[in-house]
Amino acid sequence: MLNLFRRLAARHAVFVIVCALIFAAFEFLICALVSTIDIGAALKELRKSAPPFMQSMLGEEFFGNLTSRGMLAFGWNHPMAVALGAAIAIVLASRAVAGEIEIGAMELVLSQPLSRMKYLGSHVAFALAALSALSLGGAAGTTAGQSFYSLRVFESSALLKLSMNYFLLQCAWFSLTLVFSVFGREGGRVSGAAFLIALLSYIIQVIGKLLPAATFLLPYSLYNYYSPQAILIESKSEASSFSVLFVFSAVCLGFAAWRFQRRNIP
Amino acid sequence: MSNLQVSNLSKRYGKVQALRDASFSLEAGEIFGYLGPNGAGKTTTLRIILGLVRATSGEVRLFGKSTMHAEERAAMGFLPGELRLYSDMTGLATLSYFARYRPERPPVLREKLLEAFGVERSVLSRKIKFLSHGTKQKIGLIIAMQHDPDLLLLDEPTTGLDPLVQQAFRESVLDFARRGRAVFFSSHVLSEVEAVCGRVAILRAGGIVAVESIDNLRGKMLRRLKARFRGAAPADLARTTGVTSAEILGNEAVVWVQGDVNPLLRRLAQADVENFVFPEPELEDIFMSYYREGKGADA
Repeated sequence: MLNLFRRLAARHAVFVIVCALIFAAFEFLICALVSTIDIGAALKELRKSAPPFMQSMLGEEFFGNLTSRGMLAFGWNHPMAVALGAAIAIVLASRAVAGEIEIGAMELVLSQPLSRMKYLGSHVAFALAALSALSLGGAAGTTAGQSFYSLRVFESSALLKLSMNYFLLQCAWFSLTLVFSVFGREGGRVSGAAFLIALLSYIIQVIGKLLPAATFLLPYSLYNYYSPQAILIESKSEASSFSVLFVFSAVCLGFAAWRFQRRNIP
Repeated sequence: MSNLQVSNLSKRYGKVQALRDASFSLEAGEIFGYLGPNGAGKTTTLRIILGLVRATSGEVRLFGKSTMHAEERAAMGFLPGELRLYSDMTGLATLSYFARYRPERPPVLREKLLEAFGVERSVLSRKIKFLSHGTKQKIGLIIAMQHDPDLLLLDEPTTGLDPLVQQAFRESVLDFARRGRAVFFSSHVLSEVEAVCGRVAILRAGGIVAVESIDNLRGKMLRRLKARFRGAAPADLARTTGVTSAEILGNEAVVWVQGDVNPLLRRLAQADVENFVFPEPELEDIFMSYYREGKGADA
């Protein structure tokens, strides 16, 4: 198992480290923007000229009532931050089974004394490590930026909770993609389908927040269970969101493991 | 106890019957040929033995135990028919990576095999993506054999190997058998199976047509001889001992012979032969032998 984990680390480490550094640099940059530009005032002007249904979005929902701390929280909700995490989660899961079958190496690897559960377990363990590194990279970027630009620092417990929420969200994307991956034979098609679902989920979340008539859609989006503003600004516990993401991931992983144990290779 | 025991193995993919009631066993020290054309079910059999594909029915026992335990695979070596390695790894890293899956069986034969197959150190330091097909095949063979497995499963092992390396490979396989290892040798090339195997299963359209010793196979083999004569071809060729049929057209004859070819050669020596061709028997010729035999039995 350790052998495969080391192989995955050698193969993906650069990709994961670069993504974690980009995420950290992005959060640091958000701190720089908040400290040097009065974004709050600029957005207030923008908000005044926006249609009524968008005014709420530009205020409470995404920017934490346009405070500097709200802006920092938005750095975690920015499409860039969200896409980065989804990218790592989806790429790792699609390569784990379908991608490996596509490149043709699976047959030789599984003919070694390595059980399918250990094979999948190694991929899951590596993905959890990679997603932890990414989440902690973001938290490190925010903390460093706040210190460097003398901004009021978030409580470490809140930042840790946010990192955990971000981590669980990406775990959910990883697990869902892994379900597709254990059925598939081509990594590209699996990741394409997963990215499409992630995009759809994001769009559902935005529409649900913008249009009161579409609020009923919100529970069907995984992004509904990811709330940087609520954790950082309102200090909410968000235990139910954590539970939903955790249970969703566990069910998907369990199903993927069950299916992988039974599928024919290739 | 057999190293490998396959009983009534069948595999169906939807409407396609890939394998039908295959049964055979493989003892220690034996090289067992698994001969059949492409699509006959050879790779499916191997995948079922390795637990990669689930059989529709039947049973596989490895060293007397069920195949579904990963630990049993520690004593096995496998070369897939379509070998794919990680292109970003070097040759040496690839060998070490697969060796690490068996800490209890170190790669004791690696150096010997590298030398036998003519793989130089400089080649091993290159990434797989820069290696030729033949070199990748050699690395695949070393992955399968380096830990001196008790059971070696080879699917079309000589693909892409030059004749010298093929010879070195045959010697390595024979050495394995001499040391009490069992070798399962799947191929569609008759001459290659004939050169190393003691017994052979002949597979066609998912079913095993026969399991024979190589000597019996040679005896049953129907071979084709084409001869051109100066003048008319002898009309009594079909009556020569061992000849099963003869087609005579002017000064040319196509003769089918089974078993000992000496009576036919003696008869030809009495005629004025201008030219004759006696090609290596092909897989289809063997199938023809068994097909005719089956028909005869039916009748």
